[in-house]
Amino acid sequence: MSHPLEARLARYIETQMPEASDIEVSQIERISGGASRETYRFVLNYRQDGAAQTRRLILRRDPPASLIDTDRRIEFAAYRAFYGSTVPVPRMLWLEEAETALDHPFFIAEELTGFQTAPQLLFAGGYDKVLAKVADRKWSILGQIARADPAALGLTSVMASPGVDECWRRELDHWEHIFDTDEAEPQPIARAAIRWLRSNPPPPAQKLCVVHGDYRTGNFLFDQEGEIHGVLDWEMAHLGDPLEDLAWGFNPIWEFGRGLAGGLVPQDQAIAIWRKSSGLIADPAALHWWTLFNCVKGQGIWVGSARAFIDGGNKEPIMVYAAWWLLNAQDRAILKVMGRL
Amino acid sequence: MTPEVPAVLAEMAGLLMRTASPGAPDAERTSALTLSSMLLMVAAEVWDAAAQNLVQENRAIAELLGDHSLESDLHLSVLRAENSRLRAELIAAHIIAENAGDQIRQDAIWAELRASTDRRRLSISLV
Repeated sequence: MSHPLEARLARYIETQMPEASDIEVSQIERISGGASRETYRFVLNYRQDGAAQTRRLILRRDPPASLIDTDRRIEFAAYRAFYGSTVPVPRMLWLEEAETALDHPFFIAEELTGFQTAPQLLFAGGYDKVLAKVADRKWSILGQIARADPAALGLTSVMASPGVDECWRRELDHWEHIFDTDEAEPQPIARAAIRWLRSNPPPPAQKLCVVHGDYRTGNFLFDQEGEIHGVLDWEMAHLGDPLEDLAWGFNPIWEFGRGLAGGLVPQDQAIAIWRKSSGLIADPAALHWWTLFNCVKGQGIWVGSARAFIDGGNKEPIMVYAAWWLLNAQDRAILKVMGRL
Repeated sequence: MTPEVPAVLAEMAGLLMRTASPGAPDAERTSALTLSSMLLMVAAEVWDAAAQNLVQENRAIAELLGDHSLESDLHLSVLRAENSRLRAELIAAHIIAENAGDQIRQDAIWAELRASTDRRRLSISLV
Protein backbone atom coordinates (compact mmCIF):
# COMPACT_ATOMS: atom_id res chain seq x y z
CA MET A 1 0.00 0.00 0.00
CA SER A 2 1.27 3.50 -0.75
CA HIS A 3 2.33 5.60 2.22
CA PRO A 4 0.13 8.61 3.06
CA LEU A 5 3.19 10.87 3.00
CA GLU A 6 3.99 10.13 -0.65
CA ALA A 7 1.36 12.36 -2.22
CA ARG A 8 1.99 15.19 0.24
CA LEU A 9 5.73 15.02 -0.33
CA ALA A 10 5.21 15.15 -4.08
CA ARG A 11 3.03 18.26 -3.76
CA TYR A 12 5.70 19.95 -1.60
CA ILE A 13 8.52 19.09 -3.99
CA GLU A 14 6.48 20.52 -6.88
CA THR A 15 6.69 23.90 -5.16
CA GLN A 16 10.46 23.57 -4.84
CA MET A 17 11.12 22.35 -8.39
CA PRO A 18 8.90 24.47 -10.66
CA GLU A 19 11.06 23.57 -13.67
CA ALA A 20 10.25 19.84 -13.25
CA SER A 21 7.12 17.96 -14.29
CA ASP A 22 5.50 14.56 -13.61
CA ILE A 23 6.86 14.59 -10.05
CA GLU A 24 6.21 11.31 -8.25
CA VAL A 25 7.30 10.06 -4.82
CA SER A 26 7.46 6.31 -4.18
CA GLN A 27 9.11 3.55 -2.10
CA ILE A 28 8.96 5.60 1.10
CA GLU A 29 10.51 3.62 3.94
CA ARG A 30 10.88 4.48 7.62
CA ILE A 31 14.45 4.15 8.89
CA SER A 32 14.42 2.55 12.34
CA GLY A 33 16.08 4.23 15.26
CA GLY A 34 15.65 7.87 14.36
CA ALA A 35 14.46 9.15 17.72
CA SER A 36 15.18 12.86 17.43
CA ARG A 37 13.66 13.17 13.98
CA GLU A 38 11.46 10.77 12.02
CA THR A 39 13.70 9.65 9.17
CA TYR A 40 12.44 8.22 5.86
CA ARG A 41 14.13 7.33 2.59
CA PHE A 42 12.21 7.65 -0.65
CA VAL A 43 12.56 7.75 -4.42
CA LEU A 44 11.77 10.90 -6.41
CA ASN A 45 10.95 10.53 -10.12
CA TYR A 46 10.36 13.52 -12.39
CA ARG A 47 10.95 14.89 -15.89
CA GLN A 48 13.18 17.85 -16.63
CA ASP A 49 14.38 19.22 -19.97
CA GLY A 50 12.59 16.34 -21.63
CA ALA A 51 14.47 13.64 -19.73
CA ALA A 52 13.28 11.29 -16.98
CA GLN A 53 15.20 11.70 -13.71
CA THR A 54 15.41 9.61 -10.54
CA ARG A 55 16.84 10.70 -7.19
CA ARG A 56 17.02 8.90 -3.86
CA LEU A 57 16.30 11.31 -1.01
CA ILE A 58 15.98 11.45 2.78
CA LEU A 59 13.18 13.14 4.73
CA ARG A 60 13.92 14.19 8.31
CA ARG A 61 10.72 15.32 10.02
CA ASP A 62 10.25 16.57 13.58
CA PRO A 63 8.18 14.20 15.74
CA PRO A 64 5.53 15.56 18.16
CA ALA A 65 8.12 15.28 20.96
CA SER A 66 11.71 14.28 20.56
CA LEU A 67 14.44 12.39 22.36
CA ILE A 68 16.54 15.49 21.71
CA ASP A 69 14.75 18.82 21.35
CA THR A 70 16.79 20.82 18.90
CA ASP A 71 16.38 23.42 16.20
CA ARG A 72 16.32 21.74 12.78
CA ARG A 73 17.61 25.01 11.30
CA ILE A 74 20.89 24.54 13.18
CA GLU A 75 21.16 20.93 12.04
CA PHE A 76 20.47 21.95 8.45
CA ALA A 77 23.05 24.76 8.64
CA ALA A 78 25.71 22.42 10.04
CA TYR A 79 25.24 19.95 7.20
CA ARG A 80 25.35 22.74 4.63
CA ALA A 81 28.47 24.27 6.19
CA PHE A 82 30.52 21.11 5.77
CA TYR A 83 29.18 19.97 2.39
CA GLY A 84 32.05 19.66 -0.10
CA SER A 85 34.73 19.84 2.64
CA THR A 86 37.01 17.16 4.12
CA VAL A 87 34.11 16.34 6.45
CA PRO A 88 31.79 14.21 4.29
CA VAL A 89 28.09 14.97 4.67
CA PRO A 90 25.02 14.49 2.49
CA ARG A 91 23.81 17.41 0.39
CA MET A 92 20.93 19.34 1.92
CA LEU A 93 18.12 20.35 -0.44
CA TRP A 94 15.19 22.03 1.31
CA LEU A 95 14.36 23.15 4.84
CA GLU A 96 10.68 23.66 5.66
CA GLU A 97 9.83 25.15 9.04
CA ALA A 98 6.10 25.66 8.48
CA GLU A 99 3.75 22.86 9.55
CA THR A 100 1.39 23.08 6.62
CA ALA A 101 3.12 20.71 4.19
CA LEU A 102 3.77 17.65 6.40
CA ASP A 103 2.27 18.60 9.80
CA HIS A 104 5.70 19.18 11.36
CA PRO A 105 8.88 20.99 10.26
CA PHE A 106 11.26 18.91 8.17
CA PHE A 107 14.15 18.95 5.76
CA ILE A 108 15.03 16.91 2.69
CA ALA A 109 18.52 15.78 1.69
CA GLU A 110 20.15 13.57 -0.89
CA GLU A 111 20.63 9.99 0.25
CA LEU A 112 24.17 8.60 0.28
CA THR A 113 23.45 5.09 -0.96
CA GLY A 114 25.34 1.83 -0.73
CA PHE A 115 26.83 2.37 2.75
CA GLN A 116 26.10 1.15 6.27
CA THR A 117 25.73 2.80 9.68
CA ALA A 118 24.87 0.01 12.16
CA PRO A 119 27.53 -0.77 14.80
CA GLN A 120 26.07 -4.29 15.08
CA LEU A 121 27.01 -4.88 11.44
CA LEU A 122 30.42 -3.23 11.78
CA PHE A 123 31.28 -5.51 14.72
CA ALA A 124 29.76 -8.72 13.33
CA GLY A 125 33.07 -9.97 11.92
CA GLY A 126 32.87 -8.99 8.27
CA TYR A 127 34.63 -5.69 8.82
CA ASP A 128 37.34 -6.79 11.27
CA LYS A 129 40.15 -6.19 8.75
CA VAL A 130 39.13 -2.57 8.23
CA LEU A 131 38.27 -1.51 11.79
CA ALA A 132 41.63 0.26 12.16
CA LYS A 133 40.95 2.12 8.93
CA VAL A 134 37.48 3.11 10.15
CA ALA A 135 39.07 4.38 13.37
CA ASP A 136 41.65 6.39 11.44
CA ARG A 137 38.97 7.98 9.26
CA LYS A 138 36.59 8.48 12.20
CA TRP A 139 38.97 10.47 14.37
CA SER A 140 40.69 12.19 11.44
CA ILE A 141 37.33 13.58 10.33
CA LEU A 142 36.52 14.64 13.89
CA GLY A 143 39.87 16.44 13.94
CA GLN A 144 38.84 18.25 10.75
CA ILE A 145 35.59 19.34 12.40
CA ALA A 146 37.62 20.74 15.30
CA ARG A 147 40.04 22.43 12.91
CA ALA A 148 37.26 24.22 10.99
CA ASP A 149 36.64 27.93 11.54
CA PRO A 150 33.00 28.40 12.69
CA ALA A 151 32.87 31.99 11.45
CA ALA A 152 34.26 31.12 8.02
CA LEU A 153 31.61 28.39 7.77
CA GLY A 154 28.89 30.92 8.54
CA LEU A 155 27.86 29.06 11.67
CA THR A 156 28.37 31.90 14.16
CA SER A 157 25.23 33.49 12.71
CA VAL A 158 23.04 30.51 13.65
CA MET A 159 24.81 29.10 16.72
CA ALA A 160 25.56 30.83 20.03
CA SER A 161 29.26 31.68 20.57
CA PRO A 162 30.17 31.22 24.24
CA GLY A 163 33.53 32.40 25.56
CA VAL A 164 36.18 29.70 25.77
CA ASP A 165 35.94 29.81 29.56
CA GLU A 166 32.15 29.44 29.44
CA CYS A 167 31.82 26.32 27.29
CA TRP A 168 31.76 23.79 30.10
CA ARG A 169 29.31 25.68 32.29
CA ARG A 170 26.93 26.36 29.40
CA GLU A 171 26.72 22.68 28.53
CA LEU A 172 26.50 21.47 32.12
CA ASP A 173 23.74 24.00 32.92
CA HIS A 174 21.80 22.87 29.89
CA TRP A 175 21.92 19.18 30.71
CA GLU A 176 21.34 19.61 34.43
CA HIS A 177 18.21 21.52 33.50
CA ILE A 178 17.08 18.50 31.47
CA PHE A 179 17.28 16.42 34.65
CA ASP A 180 15.37 19.06 36.60
CA THR A 181 12.53 19.11 34.10
CA ASP A 182 12.43 15.57 32.73
CA GLU A 183 13.54 12.98 35.28
CA ALA A 184 10.73 10.59 36.16
CA GLU A 185 12.58 9.23 39.19
CA PRO A 186 15.53 10.50 41.27
CA GLN A 187 18.95 10.02 39.65
CA PRO A 188 21.42 9.76 42.56
CA ILE A 189 24.37 8.68 40.41
CA ALA A 190 24.00 11.38 37.75
CA ARG A 191 23.36 14.01 40.42
CA ALA A 192 26.56 13.03 42.24
CA ALA A 193 28.46 13.27 38.96
CA ILE A 194 27.02 16.74 38.30
CA ARG A 195 28.17 17.91 41.74
CA TRP A 196 31.67 16.58 41.03
CA LEU A 197 31.76 18.29 37.63
CA ARG A 198 30.80 21.64 39.15
CA SER A 199 33.41 21.31 41.87
CA ASN A 200 36.20 20.36 39.46
CA PRO A 201 35.78 22.49 36.30
CA PRO A 202 38.04 21.94 33.29
CA PRO A 203 40.41 24.57 31.90
CA PRO A 204 39.08 26.96 29.21
CA ALA A 205 38.72 25.50 25.73
CA GLN A 206 41.82 25.79 23.53
CA LYS A 207 39.59 27.44 20.93
CA LEU A 208 35.92 27.75 20.12
CA CYS A 209 35.09 24.95 17.68
CA VAL A 210 32.19 23.36 15.91
CA VAL A 211 31.00 20.51 18.12
CA HIS A 212 29.02 17.82 16.30
CA GLY A 213 27.48 16.77 19.61
CA ASP A 214 26.75 13.10 18.79
CA TYR A 215 29.92 11.93 17.03
CA ARG A 216 30.05 8.21 17.68
CA THR A 217 30.17 4.87 15.94
CA GLY A 218 26.69 4.48 14.48
CA ASN A 219 26.40 8.05 13.25
CA PHE A 220 28.53 7.76 10.13
CA LEU A 221 28.25 5.84 6.85
CA PHE A 222 31.02 3.33 6.17
CA ASP A 223 31.91 0.95 3.34
CA GLN A 224 33.67 -2.42 3.01
CA GLU A 225 37.08 -0.75 2.70
CA GLY A 226 36.67 1.16 5.97
CA GLU A 227 36.14 4.52 4.30
CA ILE A 228 33.63 6.94 5.83
CA HIS A 229 31.28 8.59 3.33
CA GLY A 230 28.98 10.66 5.48
CA VAL A 231 28.76 12.06 9.00
CA LEU A 232 25.11 12.08 10.12
CA ASP A 233 22.90 13.25 13.00
CA TRP A 234 24.05 16.81 13.55
CA GLU A 235 20.97 17.69 15.61
CA MET A 236 23.03 18.53 18.71
CA ALA A 237 25.66 20.58 16.85
CA HIS A 238 26.82 23.73 18.61
CA LEU A 239 29.94 25.79 19.20
CA GLY A 240 32.08 24.80 22.17
CA ASP A 241 35.14 22.97 23.48
CA PRO A 242 36.62 20.51 20.94
CA LEU A 243 37.34 18.06 23.77
CA GLU A 244 33.59 17.70 24.25
CA ASP A 245 33.32 16.01 20.85
CA LEU A 246 36.38 13.84 21.37
CA ALA A 247 35.14 12.72 24.79
CA TRP A 248 31.59 11.90 23.63
CA GLY A 249 33.00 8.89 21.84
CA PHE A 250 34.74 7.82 25.06
CA ASN A 251 31.47 7.48 26.96
CA PRO A 252 31.74 3.74 27.82
CA ILE A 253 28.28 3.20 26.34
CA TRP A 254 29.77 3.78 22.89
CA GLU A 255 32.36 1.04 23.34
CA PHE A 256 29.45 -1.33 22.54
CA GLY A 257 30.80 -3.78 25.10
CA ARG A 258 34.13 -4.24 23.23
CA GLY A 259 36.42 -2.39 25.65
CA LEU A 260 37.73 -0.15 22.86
CA ALA A 261 37.07 3.50 22.05
CA GLY A 262 34.05 3.51 19.77
CA GLY A 263 34.43 -0.29 19.72
CA LEU A 264 37.35 0.25 17.34
CA VAL A 265 40.79 0.94 18.85
CA PRO A 266 42.39 1.70 22.25
CA GLN A 267 41.58 5.21 23.48
CA ASP A 268 45.18 6.47 23.29
CA GLN A 269 45.29 5.50 19.62
CA ALA A 270 42.08 7.41 18.92
CA ILE A 271 43.45 10.46 20.71
CA ALA A 272 46.68 10.34 18.68
CA ILE A 273 44.73 10.27 15.39
CA TRP A 274 42.58 13.20 16.51
CA ARG A 275 45.56 15.24 17.72
CA LYS A 276 47.37 14.81 14.40
CA SER A 277 44.31 15.84 12.42
CA SER A 278 43.10 18.70 14.61
CA GLY A 279 46.45 20.16 15.62
CA LEU A 280 45.04 20.43 19.16
CA ILE A 281 46.06 18.84 22.44
CA ALA A 282 44.03 16.52 24.67
CA ASP A 283 44.89 17.34 28.28
CA PRO A 284 44.11 14.11 30.21
CA ALA A 285 42.39 15.86 33.14
CA ALA A 286 40.27 17.99 30.84
CA LEU A 287 39.43 14.98 28.71
CA HIS A 288 38.35 13.08 31.84
CA TRP A 289 36.07 15.97 32.81
CA TRP A 290 34.45 15.99 29.38
CA THR A 291 34.11 12.20 29.36
CA LEU A 292 32.22 12.28 32.65
CA PHE A 293 30.19 15.23 31.40
CA ASN A 294 29.24 13.23 28.32
CA CYS A 295 28.08 10.36 30.51
CA VAL A 296 25.79 12.84 32.27
CA LYS A 297 24.67 14.24 28.92
CA GLY A 298 23.92 10.73 27.70
CA GLN A 299 21.83 10.09 30.79
CA GLY A 300 20.01 13.37 30.16
CA ILE A 301 19.07 12.11 26.71
CA TRP A 302 17.72 8.79 28.04
CA VAL A 303 15.85 10.60 30.83
CA GLY A 304 14.32 12.90 28.21
CA SER A 305 13.38 9.91 26.11
CA ALA A 306 11.45 8.36 29.00
CA ARG A 307 9.76 11.67 29.74
CA ALA A 308 8.56 12.11 26.15
CA PHE A 309 6.86 8.70 26.35
CA ILE A 310 5.38 9.22 29.81
CA ASP A 311 3.91 12.61 28.91
CA GLY A 312 2.48 11.24 25.67
CA GLY A 313 4.44 13.56 23.45
CA ASN A 314 6.02 10.65 21.64
CA LYS A 315 4.76 7.08 22.10
CA GLU A 316 7.17 5.53 19.59
CA PRO A 317 8.75 2.27 20.86
CA ILE A 318 12.24 3.71 20.31
CA MET A 319 11.61 6.20 23.12
CA VAL A 320 11.05 3.32 25.54
CA TYR A 321 13.82 1.14 24.19
CA ALA A 322 16.41 3.89 24.57
CA ALA A 323 15.39 4.38 28.21
CA TRP A 324 15.08 0.70 29.14
CA TRP A 325 18.31 -0.30 27.40
CA LEU A 326 20.50 2.60 28.45
CA LEU A 327 19.40 4.29 31.70
CA ASN A 328 21.07 1.75 33.98
CA ALA A 329 23.97 1.13 31.59
CA GLN A 330 24.65 4.86 31.56
CA ASP A 331 24.65 4.90 35.37
CA ARG A 332 27.25 2.15 35.25
CA ALA A 333 29.25 4.16 32.73
CA ILE A 334 29.24 7.13 35.11
CA LEU A 335 30.46 4.88 37.94
CA LYS A 336 33.18 3.48 35.68
CA VAL A 337 34.48 6.91 34.66
CA MET A 338 34.41 8.05 38.29
CA GLY A 339 36.40 4.96 39.30
CA ARG A 340 33.55 3.53 41.35
CA LEU A 341 32.50 0.48 39.37
CA MET B 1 12.13 0.38 34.86
CA THR B 2 11.20 3.76 33.50
CA PRO B 3 8.79 4.15 31.71
CA GLU B 4 6.86 1.58 33.74
CA VAL B 5 6.20 -1.80 32.15
CA PRO B 6 2.36 -1.81 32.31
CA ALA B 7 2.11 1.54 30.50
CA VAL B 8 4.53 0.34 27.84
CA LEU B 9 2.73 -2.98 27.32
CA ALA B 10 -0.60 -1.18 26.98
CA GLU B 11 0.85 1.16 24.38
CA MET B 12 2.43 -1.74 22.52
CA ALA B 13 -0.88 -3.58 22.44
CA GLY B 14 -2.42 -0.64 20.63
CA LEU B 15 0.55 -0.32 18.31
CA LEU B 16 0.45 -4.00 17.38
CA MET B 17 -3.27 -3.83 16.62
CA ARG B 18 -2.74 -0.82 14.38
CA THR B 19 0.22 -2.48 12.70
CA ALA B 20 -1.77 -5.67 12.08
CA SER B 21 -4.53 -3.85 10.23
CA PRO B 22 -4.58 -4.26 6.41
CA GLY B 23 -4.22 -0.50 5.91
CA ALA B 24 -0.93 -0.15 7.83
CA PRO B 25 1.86 1.12 5.55
CA ASP B 26 4.60 -1.47 5.02
CA ALA B 27 7.19 1.22 5.72
CA GLU B 28 6.02 1.56 9.33
CA ARG B 29 5.38 -2.13 9.95
CA THR B 30 8.99 -3.34 10.06
CA SER B 31 10.10 -0.61 12.42
CA ALA B 32 7.13 -1.08 14.78
CA LEU B 33 7.41 -4.88 14.93
CA THR B 34 11.18 -4.96 15.37
CA LEU B 35 11.21 -2.53 18.25
CA SER B 36 8.13 -4.07 19.86
CA SER B 37 9.77 -7.49 19.90
CA MET B 38 12.87 -6.01 21.53
CA LEU B 39 10.74 -4.37 24.22
CA LEU B 40 8.88 -7.62 24.88
CA MET B 41 12.20 -9.38 25.41
CA VAL B 42 13.29 -6.79 27.98
CA ALA B 43 9.92 -6.93 29.77
CA ALA B 44 10.17 -10.73 29.91
CA GLU B 45 13.66 -10.52 31.40
CA VAL B 46 12.77 -8.18 34.27
CA TRP B 47 9.36 -9.67 35.12
CA ASP B 48 10.25 -12.32 37.68
CA ALA B 49 12.78 -10.35 39.74
CA ALA B 50 11.08 -6.94 39.67
CA ALA B 51 9.46 -7.05 43.12
CA GLN B 52 12.40 -8.84 44.72
CA ASN B 53 14.88 -6.25 43.46
CA LEU B 54 12.76 -3.32 44.60
CA VAL B 55 12.24 -4.77 48.08
CA GLN B 56 15.95 -5.53 48.36
CA GLU B 57 16.95 -2.06 47.21
CA ASN B 58 14.40 -0.25 49.36
CA ARG B 59 15.55 -2.14 52.44
CA ALA B 60 19.22 -1.42 51.69
CA ILE B 61 18.62 2.31 51.28
CA ALA B 62 16.30 2.46 54.29
CA GLU B 63 19.01 0.87 56.40
CA LEU B 64 21.54 3.45 55.20
CA LEU B 65 19.12 6.23 56.05
CA GLY B 66 18.05 4.76 59.40
CA ASP B 67 14.50 4.50 58.08
CA HIS B 68 12.77 1.57 59.78
CA SER B 69 9.43 1.61 57.98
CA LEU B 70 8.50 -1.83 56.56
CA GLU B 71 6.72 -2.38 53.29
CA SER B 72 3.12 -3.54 53.74
CA ASP B 73 2.00 -3.34 50.12
CA LEU B 74 3.93 -5.34 47.51
CA HIS B 75 2.33 -3.91 44.39
CA LEU B 76 5.14 -2.89 42.06
CA SER B 77 3.69 0.61 41.71
CA VAL B 78 3.80 1.07 45.50
CA LEU B 79 7.31 -0.34 45.77
CA ARG B 80 8.49 1.95 42.97
CA ALA B 81 6.96 5.02 44.63
CA GLU B 82 8.74 4.09 47.85
CA ASN B 83 11.95 3.56 45.90
CA SER B 84 11.72 7.06 44.45
CA ARG B 85 11.11 8.52 47.92
CA LEU B 86 14.11 6.69 49.35
CA ARG B 87 16.44 7.55 46.43
CA ALA B 88 15.54 11.23 46.78
CA GLU B 89 16.45 11.03 50.46
CA LEU B 90 19.66 9.22 49.53
CA ILE B 91 20.68 12.13 47.30
CA ALA B 92 20.14 14.51 50.22
CA ALA B 93 22.14 12.24 52.54
CA HIS B 94 24.94 12.03 49.96
CA ILE B 95 25.20 15.83 49.77
CA ILE B 96 25.34 16.09 53.57
CA ALA B 97 28.11 13.48 53.70
CA GLU B 98 30.10 15.32 51.00
CA ASN B 99 29.76 18.66 52.75
CA ALA B 100 30.81 17.09 56.05
CA GLY B 101 33.79 15.33 54.47
CA ASP B 102 32.43 12.04 55.86
CA GLN B 103 34.30 9.60 53.62
CA ILE B 104 33.03 6.45 55.33
CA ARG B 105 29.44 7.55 54.83
CA GLN B 106 30.14 8.52 51.20
CA ASP B 107 31.75 5.14 50.52
CA ALA B 108 28.73 3.35 51.96
CA ILE B 109 26.39 5.36 49.71
CA TRP B 110 28.55 4.72 46.65
CA ALA B 111 28.57 1.00 47.48
CA GLU B 112 24.77 0.93 47.52
CA LEU B 113 24.59 2.93 44.28
CA ARG B 114 26.93 0.45 42.62
CA ALA B 115 24.82 -2.44 43.97
CA SER B 116 21.68 -0.80 42.60
CA THR B 117 23.12 -0.90 39.08
CA ASP B 118 23.95 -4.59 39.55
CA ARG B 119 20.31 -5.31 40.49
CA ARG B 120 19.01 -3.38 37.49
CA ARG B 121 21.51 -4.70 34.99
CA LEU B 122 20.04 -6.30 31.86
CA SER B 123 21.62 -9.14 29.91
CA ILE B 124 21.97 -6.71 26.96
CA SER B 125 23.67 -4.02 29.07
CA LEU B 126 26.53 -2.25 27.30
CA VAL B 127 28.40 -1.58 30.57
